Amino acid sequence: MVLSEDLVQRALDEALSLGASYAEVRYQRDEVSEVALRNGNVIGFGKNISEGVGIRVIVDGALGFASTNILTIDEIRGTVEKAINRARALAKLMKEPISFSEERVGRASYNVIPKKDLSELSIEDRITLGVEIHKSIINTVKEVKVAVTAFFIRDHTQEKLIINSDGAYIKSYIPRLSLTLNFVLAHPQKGTLQRYVSYGASGGSELIKEWKPEEEIVNEVKNLERVLLKGKEPPKDEIDVVVGPEVVGLIVHESAGHPMEADRILGREAAQAGESFVKPEMIGKYRIGSELVTIVEDPTIPGSYGYYLYDDEGVPARPRYLYYKGIINEPLHNRHTGKIFGVGSNGAARAMDYKSEPIIRMSNTYFKPGNMEFDELIEDIKLGVYIKSFMEWNIDDIRWNQRYVGLEAYIIRDGEVREDEPVRNPVLEITTQGFYSRVTGVDKNLRFYPATCGKGEPAQGVPVWIGGPNVRVSRIRLGVRV
Amino acid sequence: MELIHNAKKALNRLKIRFDDVAIKMILKDSVMVKIWNNQISVTQSWKTIESRIYLAKNKRILELSLSLERPEDIVKVCDEMSKYVNVMKESEIYAPLPEPMTYKPLKDLTDARIHDYMDNPLPLVEGLISSALDNGAQRVAGTLELSIERKALVTSKGFEGEEEGSEVMCYLRAFKGDVSGHWAFGSRRVNKESIEYVGRKAAEIATLSKGKVSVKPGKYDVILSPLVVGNLLNDVAMMASGLYIMMGFSMFMKFKIGDVIASDIVSLYDVPRNIELARSTSFDDEGIETYDKPIIERGRFTNVLHNVKTSSKLGGKTTGNAGWITPLPWNIELKPGNYSEEELIREVRRGLLITNNWYTRLQNYVEGQFSTVSKDAVFYIENGEIKGYTERIRIADTFVNLLRNVRAMGKTQYLIRWWEVRIPSKVPYLLAANVNITKPYA
Repeated sequence: MVLSEDLVQRALDEALSLGASYAEVRYQRDEVSEVALRNGNVIGFGKNISEGVGIRVIVDGALGFASTNILTIDEIRGTVEKAINRARALAKLMKEPISFSEERVGRASYNVIPKKDLSELSIEDRITLGVEIHKSIINTVKEVKVAVTAFFIRDHTQEKLIINSDGAYIKSYIPRLSLTLNFVLAHPQKGTLQRYVSYGASGGSELIKEWKPEEEIVNEVKNLERVLLKGKEPPKDEIDVVVGPEVVGLIVHESAGHPMEADRILGREAAQAGESFVKPEMIGKYRIGSELVTIVEDPTIPGSYGYYLYDDEGVPARPRYLYYKGIINEPLHNRHTGKIFGVGSNGAARAMDYKSEPIIRMSNTYFKPGNMEFDELIEDIKLGVYIKSFMEWNIDDIRWNQRYVGLEAYIIRDGEVREDEPVRNPVLEITTQGFYSRVTGVDKNLRFYPATCGKGEPAQGVPVWIGGPNVRVSRIRLGVRV
Repeated sequence: MELIHNAKKALNRLKIRFDDVAIKMILKDSVMVKIWNNQISVTQSWKTIESRIYLAKNKRILELSLSLERPEDIVKVCDEMSKYVNVMKESEIYAPLPEPMTYKPLKDLTDARIHDYMDNPLPLVEGLISSALDNGAQRVAGTLELSIERKALVTSKGFEGEEEGSEVMCYLRAFKGDVSGHWAFGSRRVNKESIEYVGRKAAEIATLSKGKVSVKPGKYDVILSPLVVGNLLNDVAMMASGLYIMMGFSMFMKFKIGDVIASDIVSLYDVPRNIELARSTSFDDEGIETYDKPIIERGRFTNVLHNVKTSSKLGGKTTGNAGWITPLPWNIELKPGNYSEEELIREVRRGLLITNNWYTRLQNYVEGQFSTVSKDAVFYIENGEIKGYTERIRIADTFVNLLRNVRAMGKTQYLIRWWEVRIPSKVPYLLAANVNITKPYA
């Protein structure tokens, strides 16, 4: 940390002396390194170091935020003044003055300590991994061509010091590693098929061995070649559909996580990421899904991509049950929405970098697994479709009308996944309640996937995990991609 | 601050150790006011200095972005990076930085009023909110951002350039009952009228409805508002980047220059020399003078957007769109047609007017298969008349189908920039036939 803690404290004192009723100073340093390869050839190596302070204040009931990366006493003092003066100047437009919930904020320091430091994964090793994965893909395909592969490996270390006028002192260090691969398979008659796949977690270079990306990708390429060559349209009738962990993770992120962000419920993001179908009066009462539907949001999962122990307002992190046994249960709160709802914060405030105001974000969101084996989940399905992965997806801005287009998918016939009957581009287009109320089975095979969740203005991308087990949904009519 | 002085100082020390060096320093001062429920959610201010550095040695490429200003700090980080050069491999796309060229500086990129409003945005914010509420909106949410940015670029080939510009981005979403309208504005220049127009137009859309109608999935003629046109053409323009084509993130992988990919009334340009638009600039990151160019001209694919690297790899010349590694469009313009907005509606027998969208995602970039969801009001049109507003729907088609089915273009172009239109865009309404529309079945 290049900035002295004394200077951080002085910024806080300055804000209070200028009339802030609440003040918070966050020093944050993010360092990212990335190697990019195309078709096993190096494109380049990139490094991004972002470091500065973000200052947030409440003045006359208005919220102000200002940041700078010019870390001199004068500049930081000027930044404090700017946060205060500009918030104060617009305070006359406030109809409902902003205040924060009372919280028992933390005084703590924590680090994620990798089993093997990120630096032990040398640049040569990273390049070799990309080259080997490219070769494996080329060597795996039989009848199709590989039009292109693109490989990115990136590490990210994040260091924060947060203090606020309620006594919080949170110091943290989190290293992360991620790997992303894009490839296009092409056939003169069948067209092309594209796959974008990612791995990511907090930790160090040991993660590569845990992920075994080469092994997984070889299997996937084999399967996707079959989908491209032999894939048929899905059945037109209502059938049972089994959705794999990758797709389930995305569905719960989009249609349970986002609509349960309390700032959306209140309309704070209305013009950007949107609002929510969830209304305050639905919480604790409204049935959105079957008894099998429990969606958990938990920043404290060790090794997770969205890991943290205290949020950026100093509130301790804990698991939140967004939907519990099919009932809308607990939204994600920061100290502002926690005050409005009268329930306090549950530690969901995160900022992407020093330039970003902390806002309500997900961390690691997953569909709670059940007790069944996969075979039990599908044993009584006469005709169905298993959707294992996806490419295209989107959801409306109240998180109700959503669409997922499968990539690797198969017919299920008489209780068996038929790998010899692949399905091409099945479209699951359904409402949130339509999906969760049709859940009739959940297996025990929980798996997580990394994602970068976007929200806010300026847009903030934060690392999250999305996950779930295999989930069976009944009475589904799949569409066909035009 | 002496941006160019600091950049040159760092350059002089780095060019001893590297074959190619380019340094771009950016000083940005900005304020953003966010609005929700007719009041302010937060006022944000930023002052940042960033140094972006390109280094190459023995055809190995490094690119850095640092929150640093002092030459000695920059050199220190770059020195640490130099150890990677020995273990890297030659870059597939390496080409030497170009010889310096003279460039004609763009004038009037900075509007002094933006500087004044940054210290006191109250009149603009009040005008934005009240123009919507006075025109029938019940509640509004939106954003007003004002900024001044100064950049300095130096390269080891001897290029030196410096430029300053201002920017306003303003968008507002107005609600009335179940319906919302949205409008946006982005430019280098600001006045109260253009901000109040955003509020008025958002309210006009929110209050235009004549009752709710439900539509079935299927093919429709669609009128796309400039917000939708901007969003979709942002994706198309990005896919014209030489690097996107190389990496498999582009529908242009399948096409050659000269191929017909759109209706002959579609002309899409990259316009860095249009000083109305916020990313207008005289020179790119390699020190090449910018110029306006078609990406699609009268329906034909006309230009890949290049820097010297992608042009040397794919053939052709740089188009002044560097990005040291990734060439990108600066600003986009869709050329206008002859139709007023009322005339476009009158052309439609059975169709939809989609006023805003979000969440555009692709199943396959190479095929250009995309879908996008309506965000604000969608109006059902029958026999040239708006019959009511519909539920949220989705366009699920391919970009080529959509572009080839364009039938008419509005005559008024709007300057659009907002959360879902990141590349400043000057675009009209357009009418396309037989566009695939979907919605959930349950």
